Amino acid sequence: MSLIPSKKWVLWSLVSFSLVTLSLPTIIIIGASFTSGDIIQFPPDGFSLRWYERLWELDDFKDAFLRTFQVSLICTVVAIPVGTLAALATVRYRMRFQQTIQVYLLLPFTIPLVVSGIAMMILFGEIRILGQLWPVGIALCLINLPFMIWSVSSTVNGLDPELENAAHSCGAPPVQTFFAVTLPAVMPGIITGALLMFILAFNEFLVSLFLTDARTVTLPVQIYNSIRSVITPDLAAVSVVYILVALLAVWLLDRLVGLDIFLKSR
Amino acid sequence: MPKRTLDRLPLRWTLLDKLEAIARFLWPARLRGATGWLFITPALLLVGVLLIGLGYMIEYSLHELDLSTYRLKDAYTLDNYVFLVEQPVYLRVLLRTLLAATLVTAMTLFLAFPYAYLMVRTPSSALRKFLLVSLFLPFFIGQVVRAYGWLIILGKEGIINTVLLKMGLPALDLIYNYGAVVFGLVQYMLPFAVLLIVPAITAIGEDIELAAESLGANWLRAFWHVVLPMARPGLVGAGVVVFTLSMTDFAMPEILGGGTTDFIASAIYDSFFQLSNSGLGAALSIVLVTLGSILVAIVFRLTGAGTLSIRQ
Amino acid sequence: MKNRQQIKNMQRRTALKATAAAAGALAFPSLLRANDKPKELIVRAWGGAWGEALKAGVADPFTAATGIKVRLDFTEDNEIKPKIWSAVDQGRIPPIHVNWDTSTNATISALRGVTVDLSDLSNLEGLLPLAKPAGLEGYPLVNTYAYVYVCAYRAEAFPDGPPTSWKTLLDPKYKGRIALYDDGIGFNPIAVIAGGGTFEDIPDNMEPGYEFYRQLKANEPLLGEDSDFTTWFQNGEIDMACTISVNARAARQNGIDVQWTVPEEGCKVDTDGLWIPKGLPENEEYWAKEFVNFALSREAQEKWCSLLGLPPVFPGIAPPEDLIGDPSYPTEAEDFARLVSVPSPVLVENQPKWFAKFNEIFQG
Repeated sequence: MSLIPSKKWVLWSLVSFSLVTLSLPTIIIIGASFTSGDIIQFPPDGFSLRWYERLWELDDFKDAFLRTFQVSLICTVVAIPVGTLAALATVRYRMRFQQTIQVYLLLPFTIPLVVSGIAMMILFGEIRILGQLWPVGIALCLINLPFMIWSVSSTVNGLDPELENAAHSCGAPPVQTFFAVTLPAVMPGIITGALLMFILAFNEFLVSLFLTDARTVTLPVQIYNSIRSVITPDLAAVSVVYILVALLAVWLLDRLVGLDIFLKSR
Repeated sequence: MPKRTLDRLPLRWTLLDKLEAIARFLWPARLRGATGWLFITPALLLVGVLLIGLGYMIEYSLHELDLSTYRLKDAYTLDNYVFLVEQPVYLRVLLRTLLAATLVTAMTLFLAFPYAYLMVRTPSSALRKFLLVSLFLPFFIGQVVRAYGWLIILGKEGIINTVLLKMGLPALDLIYNYGAVVFGLVQYMLPFAVLLIVPAITAIGEDIELAAESLGANWLRAFWHVVLPMARPGLVGAGVVVFTLSMTDFAMPEILGGGTTDFIASAIYDSFFQLSNSGLGAALSIVLVTLGSILVAIVFRLTGAGTLSIRQ
Repeated sequence: MKNRQQIKNMQRRTALKATAAAAGALAFPSLLRANDKPKELIVRAWGGAWGEALKAGVADPFTAATGIKVRLDFTEDNEIKPKIWSAVDQGRIPPIHVNWDTSTNATISALRGVTVDLSDLSNLEGLLPLAKPAGLEGYPLVNTYAYVYVCAYRAEAFPDGPPTSWKTLLDPKYKGRIALYDDGIGFNPIAVIAGGGTFEDIPDNMEPGYEFYRQLKANEPLLGEDSDFTTWFQNGEIDMACTISVNARAARQNGIDVQWTVPEEGCKVDTDGLWIPKGLPENEEYWAKEFVNFALSREAQEKWCSLLGLPPVFPGIAPPEDLIGDPSYPTEAEDFARLVSVPSPVLVENQPKWFAKFNEIFQG
């Protein structure tokens, strides 16, 4: 790399600023969660695990965590087949209205989340399924579906169509070709997409705000509600749970497919 | 041992054969040409849920609220839309939102581009991994938790103000204002922008850049005349995503804006919940969707479609 | 054949059992429901000092007496309203069991017909007339205490004595150091009087109030919810606010020198109440009613309202020591006469419009 000094300097100062902005909240939250004081302050007032202990006693947060996990699981399980098949269809098969379908499938991104959330709240209410947990999972799958399709289609693009043709001309019937040739080839995309779907559902807030109530509240909504009343260190302890889950997801992503996948030119 | 393998394989085969038979029965060969449609149908149906919801919203938006019963009247009317046009407050909120989205987009791209550039160009794989992890971690932590972190840092009794007070300086109003919301949005959008710019930079050969520099252009000129134009598709894509996401964001204005800097999403929320006027809220939503679609369409018309398309 | 006979017998037996159960249920309906305790009751509440008072004064003693857990849900009062309405309209189970609400909002819900009638609660007897909701048949909600939107101030900032007029809010000396509720609740009628109008102008001529707001906007008031006022006073961020005395008292109990007064224009007095949404399973509705009934008992009223520092609807409870003779604790008719009380029907019909206008002025 031939970065002349001034270029290096400019790049690094901008990137350092970004790095600080990206990481500071995380570091501060971790620090604050270990305080032994009653309020959040910095530097923390002594070291203790008391807020984690308290967290363990708070059934509200524990229940919300379990519900969030459930919702994310539903979202992922639905997204895997739906997104994979859609990606295969748009990339591998000739269809009419290709352009229209692309625009249509991007609707979850182009329609603002606040509108999608309220629209689904109205619809789910009208068909009497509002107030249950599984529709939240479906809704979160729907709003993030383009991420799944993107992830899979980027690997479908890399899949050589000759492979499938070869399998076909060797006499392999379609289902077998699908499971033996197509699916393994797009697996990295499916894994990436599934991880993304899970983690995005896990911290989705706005649509969940509209679709949940006191009986079905999920963790991000619970945190938001608490922020609005009184800010105590137990919230920092809850947030650390999020940081841990995020770390786990990044590690998994790196192990299973490699983070470098996002650096490829498409 | 080999015997077991032999035992097992035929079982898998028979199973597969059965599957093939079922597939043939459900989806005979003459339909083979339409397999694409079979594959895409679940996704079409799922997204259809959104369209039905939007349909309900359009319906709601055409009814006025009856203040004596707090139900929407039966009669169809455009009064909600007329009300939106007549009340200057909605225009002001809209302009405030658009201005913020513009600022956020400009600042985010300004920060994201060098980040993406360094990440692609650095020869050190350790640095690359560090930059990637620093990017993904906040992306995966979520908006609410990050906003909460900033509350601790910027709040009236937050870290910065504590430090200032200890140094004998007056405390600053760092939060619950427009600037805080814009800043919060920039740091929230940064990962999105970087991830969308990266592929475009990867596509530019480093040799082209080197060639420009060896021809005597300093790095800034090489950047301006070679790298940026070539990275344009990525920048446009990132810009569109950042602009639409920040224009419609709800959590940052609510948490870091302290209720005094309402954005358009808060206005929709308030119509539905604070005023209990679902007709008005629906009308405002439809206006927002229309505006957003027009903006995206214009950008794509100007810069060529496909920046965001699934098929690259 | 034998099989069929058996089935027939069985059916008859089940049918008999069912009939017996039904007869029993008819005879002792409450007994059956009472034995079927729900796992928990969800009560919507306000946060901060308010939620703590409800928890210590009503929820915890109720749990101790019945074994039913009470969960406080801090969803905003305005937000829960449409959620309950659509749930009742659509025949879904409503998201909460009991709503702790302003009497105005509760009346709107009652007029919409989504509230359960509470006339048969045993503890209603002997309560002050204040408990009875105005302008409504029976008890679709029950008022639990009165409160005053006082003029709270930091004594340090007013060395020459308390502010005598709400117009002090316009004094540039206090620029950026004054506060109101974020929808103007509690101040809308007062603004009319402070802006040169009279009580008779409400609700037909609110313009003096809006003009007052426009001037007030230049003085940059902070806008917030209950717990914000306490925090602001504690951090020394405001000098003067229109807020319910509870929030100012909470700051005072934390050692801040916050006082309150009723300026010459008066202060708005209002009530809060409890109500139960329709559409709950029978046993849950039964226990929700038990909860409301308990909240009206002498024991609960005494503890809850003294923690809040507000006059309860249960008669004969002495005020907390720090509030004897305090204007924020009206008990006699002449105490109320000094305050501004807008009739409930007027509020129901107009308050949403006032909120909208307030938003328009302050969000501009």
